[in-house]
Amino acid sequence: MSAFAERFGRGWRDGRTGFRASAYFLCIVYALAVTIPLYYVLISAFKNNAQIFGMPLALPTSLDFKNFATAEASAHLLRATLISLGVTAGSEVLVLLLAFPAAYAIARIRTRLAVVVEGIFSLGFLVPAFAMLVPVLLLMAQIGVLYDPLSLILFYPAWRLPLSIVVLASYLRTVPREIEESAEMDGANRLQIILHLLFPLARPGVITVVIINFITFWNEFLFALILLSQQNRTMQVALSILKGERLVDYGMLAAGVLISILPVYIMFLIFQEQIVEGLYVGAVKG
Amino acid sequence: MQSILRSPHSGPRKTDAVSYHQRKRARDRRAFLLFVAPALIAFAILMLWPLLNMFYLSLVKWQGLVKPKTFVGLANFSKLLGDRHFLRALMNTGIHLLVSMPGVMLPAFMLGFFMSQRPRGFRLLRTIFFSPAMISVTAIAMLFVGVYLPDGILNTFLRAVGLDSWTRIWLGNRSTVLGAIIAIDFFGGIGYYAVLFSAALSSIPSELYESAQLDGAGQWTVMWRMAFPLILDFFGVASMLHLIWILMGAAQNVLLLTRGGPGDYSLTLGYYMYEQAFVNNQFGYSQAVGVVIFVIGVLGTLLIRWATHRNYQQ
Repeated sequence: MSAFAERFGRGWRDGRTGFRASAYFLCIVYALAVTIPLYYVLISAFKNNAQIFGMPLALPTSLDFKNFATAEASAHLLRATLISLGVTAGSEVLVLLLAFPAAYAIARIRTRLAVVVEGIFSLGFLVPAFAMLVPVLLLMAQIGVLYDPLSLILFYPAWRLPLSIVVLASYLRTVPREIEESAEMDGANRLQIILHLLFPLARPGVITVVIINFITFWNEFLFALILLSQQNRTMQVALSILKGERLVDYGMLAAGVLISILPVYIMFLIFQEQIVEGLYVGAVKG
Repeated sequence: MQSILRSPHSGPRKTDAVSYHQRKRARDRRAFLLFVAPALIAFAILMLWPLLNMFYLSLVKWQGLVKPKTFVGLANFSKLLGDRHFLRALMNTGIHLLVSMPGVMLPAFMLGFFMSQRPRGFRLLRTIFFSPAMISVTAIAMLFVGVYLPDGILNTFLRAVGLDSWTRIWLGNRSTVLGAIIAIDFFGGIGYYAVLFSAALSSIPSELYESAQLDGAGQWTVMWRMAFPLILDFFGVASMLHLIWILMGAAQNVLLLTRGGPGDYSLTLGYYMYEQAFVNNQFGYSQAVGVVIFVIGVLGTLLIRWATHRNYQQ
């Protein structure tokens, strides 16, 4: 009996091959369930409604960008993209400015207070932001930034602080303390240590946090819907109005979906490892 | 950095070591507060304060942003008990929980276990499985518009395999609408948690499984009797995240696809809270629904913690 047949036979007997086969089968079924709707949107974006409903899964016969033009005309996607980018960038800067010093303090300064503060932030993992829609709306009205993108630039960082701090702190803990101590011995103060030593050394963590937050900020829908005026729609809000109340122009809708997915999806394909790692660390510590 | 390391100052003097440590501790505490303060203040104002405010608002009658608030005590809550739509929403959310919690988490664990063994095609599978998690709720809802349209992929598929009589207007039919909303969880949730579980399981040395297999344990036994208890704690954490998603996040699918309809057949607690506030202008009443959701969330979280935390004490 060849080595292969022997292994294969043994695999069947202890159930390993059967297990593998059924596991692969389930994986493929699920993978198809995920990819078919994505494929459908991708091709529908380039087809007209007659083609979409006539031959749903057929490739488009030509590369027609008419749907994109219609989508732009009916929801001002370009403007929405710019607003989304502005909100995302502003929130990214603010969340790093707040989270990095806090993560440094929690990971690096030995004091009993660290446990208390970590506990407060970990509340944020269990409190769904969605529950606070009305109180946050009220707060933004009181501050006077309701309907202004600034309201999101204030809220998003606060909302994502717990995850950002946890991930950053876990990276900062991997930096050997000796490096910091020797710099301290040489008379460097905390600010110098943070800026010139820890920030560069924790760069992988910073990049992970920036990517994860980019995805979250770009994709957020409800608060953008509630807190912004119609002129200040973000990408996700614009996308939601592309679906008409009664008749659905699916080609146009698909074009909008495609545009909205693209930036995040490209980022995901490049930084997949960091994203999974970061979300895992965030969930474990949360 | 070079200049810092070459700086001529020497370390602390050894003569007054004790007071040096005391001073260092006080200095550390001050520095700690200084560095944490901005984040803590922002978090308190923008997250904790609104959370507390939700409880206060559930006790007032408040019918619009510019209208006055009147304190009504627990009246909103007693009104909930007689509210037919609220009871429907409660039941629908209960069904959602019962179907989606095991329906998403258990297959996710099984796929995660399989993926943690790095089968051939692992990277491609992971990319596919994680894709829905990268896509916004809005875009996913719009994907499902295409799935559920009268001439969408689902009905087209059914017709193609000869099951014409099974075709439905999925989102317009009383008996299918809730199922159609719940099914969206499976699209995104299973793959997302599977990838996280495989990350959690990858830290377990494979020798552990192999020795069990030498003892004659099958893969199914290894998966549930060995791997599952090993990451039970993380399974609990993931379940809590999914619980919160069902209670709150999933309301976005209802908002984007059905607005609770037809009738109130797809009304969930999360969407009812939204509807009362932003459609009916009943802000106080909406927050009473919010408090109910919050309490269910806390109870559910405690239950999950109790069920998955036991392995620690062994």
